Amino acid sequence: MTPRTRRTLEFILDNLVWFMLLAILAAFSLFIPNYFQLGIFANIIEASSVLGVMSIGLALVIIAGHMDLSVESVAALSAMTVGILFCSAGIGMGITLEPAWIMVPVSLFLGMLAGGIVGAINGFLIVKLRMNAFIVTLASYIWVRGIVLAVSGGRSAQDLAPAIRWFGIQRLLGLPLTAWIAIFCFVAFSFVMAKTPFGRHLIMIGGNENATYRAGIKVNRILVITFILAGAIAGLSGWLLAIRTSGATANLGTGMLFNAFAAVVIGGVSLKGGVGALPGVYAGVLLLSSINTAINLMGVQANFTQVIHGLLVLAAVLLDALKLRLRQKLA
Amino acid sequence: MTSFAPLLVLEDIRKNFGAIEALKGISFTIGKGEVVALLGDNGAGKSTLVKIISGGLEPTSGRMLFEGREFLAKSPAEAKAAGIETVYQDLSLATNVDVVANFFMGRELTRRVLGIPVLDEKAMEAVVAKALANAGTRIPSLRTKVEHLSGGQRQAIELNRFVHWGGKLVLLDEPFAALGVEQTRRGLDMIRAVANQGIGVVIITHIMQQAFQVADRIVVIRQGVVAGDVARKDTSPDAVVRMITGETLAAAGAAG
Repeated sequence: MTPRTRRTLEFILDNLVWFMLLAILAAFSLFIPNYFQLGIFANIIEASSVLGVMSIGLALVIIAGHMDLSVESVAALSAMTVGILFCSAGIGMGITLEPAWIMVPVSLFLGMLAGGIVGAINGFLIVKLRMNAFIVTLASYIWVRGIVLAVSGGRSAQDLAPAIRWFGIQRLLGLPLTAWIAIFCFVAFSFVMAKTPFGRHLIMIGGNENATYRAGIKVNRILVITFILAGAIAGLSGWLLAIRTSGATANLGTGMLFNAFAAVVIGGVSLKGGVGALPGVYAGVLLLSSINTAINLMGVQANFTQVIHGLLVLAAVLLDALKLRLRQKLA
Repeated sequence: MTSFAPLLVLEDIRKNFGAIEALKGISFTIGKGEVVALLGDNGAGKSTLVKIISGGLEPTSGRMLFEGREFLAKSPAEAKAAGIETVYQDLSLATNVDVVANFFMGRELTRRVLGIPVLDEKAMEAVVAKALANAGTRIPSLRTKVEHLSGGQRQAIELNRFVHWGGKLVLLDEPFAALGVEQTRRGLDMIRAVANQGIGVVIITHIMQQAFQVADRIVVIRQGVVAGDVARKDTSPDAVVRMITGETLAAAGAAG
């Protein structure tokens, strides 16, 4: 095999999920009437913004060789925090600040703070006390949702302050600002992972934690920061969720965790840690969103979505194993 | 007893694991520019001792003097900061990243872009290419992930890494386990070259021939104590084997 064909093959393997996305979009455009429209594609991107942001945090933790099951509940907590404070109907307190735009950074900060605190608790228990990440974050998944239920009393907050809601309405190049926020997050964190020492260390910790410790990298510090980041990013996705739904309900975002997992795995992040990149995760999110849109357009019963998602995750894992074998042949 | 200025002095180092005494009072000195071969049977305590020096374990008692000052590394990072490099038996490579990333693990070169530290991949690759070329190690592409490299290539990377970073003291725990004949010869040359720069070297090995090829002094540990500490030129492989097995100390020469 010439080096050139090898490079081409490696490139295709590295970016397989993007090729899959293109293939699926082409297939849907050909076979589903009305699929090929700019509006549909904009809708796919728009619909994937909340899930996309949440997947970033999850992907960071998984690349570092750990696990965070709490992201969904954390997003709900953030959304409820924003909802209760800045909604004017339901359980909303309808707080208004002058000038109105100041509510945007304040609500965003509070949402991310709530997420960051849960992330810090997770990080402390997992990294400092050496508790199992799966169990710790499963517990957080439950107790954080519990707080959301308790605080809201099971009721909802509606009518988010217009100044905040503006982000979901105002469009730039056909996409709402919330979608641009998600895109910006992907670009920013892709950069961090690929080009900065922090990202490099995170990937190496996922590959061989012992080696990074011996090399003098502050493993514990980086891992705690990663959990806090995952929490804060989940908080950001909750803020976007509150904007999208113009409020918050007690069961907001239920089931998103599994979609986030699906996106991360489809995007090429290996659950064993150390493998994967964020652009792929974004492609994974878009892929899920494209399929959802197709299901809607075809008028298939919505409940089938879950079946298809499950099969997709299986296919992704299968593909991962296949890719690994191909790569070993290439080496 | 050595002609080298002392670099690291071990004084009565003891280590207990529960009721088990792994080290029962180890004392010897490593000089600047000296190569000390640390020999002993499996379970004699060699690796434990190396971990204590390199910050992986804390001794139960005893003290170390590094460059004349009391020294105790609480973590590998501290030992590294003091100038102690370690090559472990199970390699310390992250196989999911490329050769360059491994070479610079924890010491990445960066340049500031808008105040953000950004990896300077070009500069790092140039350094690695030069270091590997100097050592005569051939690796097809420095951008290959280490998982695609052979055991020998991996060990060569690890060896080149310590040669490049040097420091003041290098600890090698069975560094040639996966190397071929030619690579081992080169590895031994590397060790000599490093020592000639005034760096102290401790090499753990099971292969007597290697110890006699490279070491200035041979220290034998048996059941947690120093069973022999002799200059290479004053002893023979047979005598060292007897020290390791504990048959007799008589023919071993002056014990430390």
